[in-house]
Amino acid sequence: MLVEFELLQQAQRGDASAFNQVVTAYRRRILGTISRLIGRPEDVEDVAQEVFLRLYFSLDQLRTPEVFEPWLYRLTVNASYDYLRKSKRRPESRMSDLSEQQVMMADAAAGSRAQTEESERHRVRDTVQSLLASVSEEDRILLTLKEVEGLSLRELENIYHVNENSLKVRLFRARQRVLKNVKGVTKRRDNSASSGDRL
Amino acid sequence: MDESTMNDRQLENRDQAQSPDEVWLNDMFHAYRDACPDPEPSVNFMPAMWAKIEAREESSTIFSRVAKGLVTAALGASVLMGLLSASSSQPVATSEGSYIQALAADHASTLEPLQVERISELEQ
Repeated sequence: MLVEFELLQQAQRGDASAFNQVVTAYRRRILGTISRLIGRPEDVEDVAQEVFLRLYFSLDQLRTPEVFEPWLYRLTVNASYDYLRKSKRRPESRMSDLSEQQVMMADAAAGSRAQTEESERHRVRDTVQSLLASVSEEDRILLTLKEVEGLSLRELENIYHVNENSLKVRLFRARQRVLKNVKGVTKRRDNSASSGDRL
Repeated sequence: MDESTMNDRQLENRDQAQSPDEVWLNDMFHAYRDACPDPEPSVNFMPAMWAKIEAREESSTIFSRVAKGLVTAALGASVLMGLLSASSSQPVATSEGSYIQALAADHASTLEPLQVERISELEQ
């Protein structure tokens, strides 16, 4: 845990300074998780503030320190899910905006290694966000928590309040649904690469 | 690697014979984590968060005030209705005798004298 339980207890008693310290300790992690869950940089702070707002009004229910982090993750997941459901917006696929060939040409012109790395990160972000956008919000959030955030099955059990076997089944099905779309994405990439070779 | 030192993902990967697509997907997920580092919060993060908390507290205070006002008004209205119904009710006429006698006494002035003919007289 990033903070002492005593600090949480002070925050529970209404100490604003203690609550500020809790938020400061966790906000980067929460912002990172939300940014990977919703894929909308411009709305990440709003969703994170909603998470901490919910934490503020429910903190008095916390009894034991070990449940704090799973609980905070649960608030994060719920707020992200609410955001995705409300907005009904998918992360825009930016692959169509700039093909890989164009990115490579731009990189070659720039001749900078840093820019090549950045374009690679850009490509990865677009590819994964396109894949995750093709499945439901539930699948997207579950896969992100497991595969990207690296949460263990035990941590997911605490967040989702379901047993390990159910989680494994849900994860398996979610992966299968994503894998169905992998071929489309890789095919598009292959086409892009082969057209680049011909030029 | 010893099984006890392997994490869940490694165990799953070992247990499953993964297709090239699955391997590619795992690599992409790992690369995605590195491609999306945790963003730095803006300077307005904390003030905006506290503004939202205060706004929520204020709206809940207004709601509780409205709710208390409604409860008080409902209580007052019920007391008033109780008093009104008590004052407007008529005293019930009580009678010592039977129901027929009470009716006869009530309508004594309007009814003709009751004439009872004997059955024996009717038979004649």
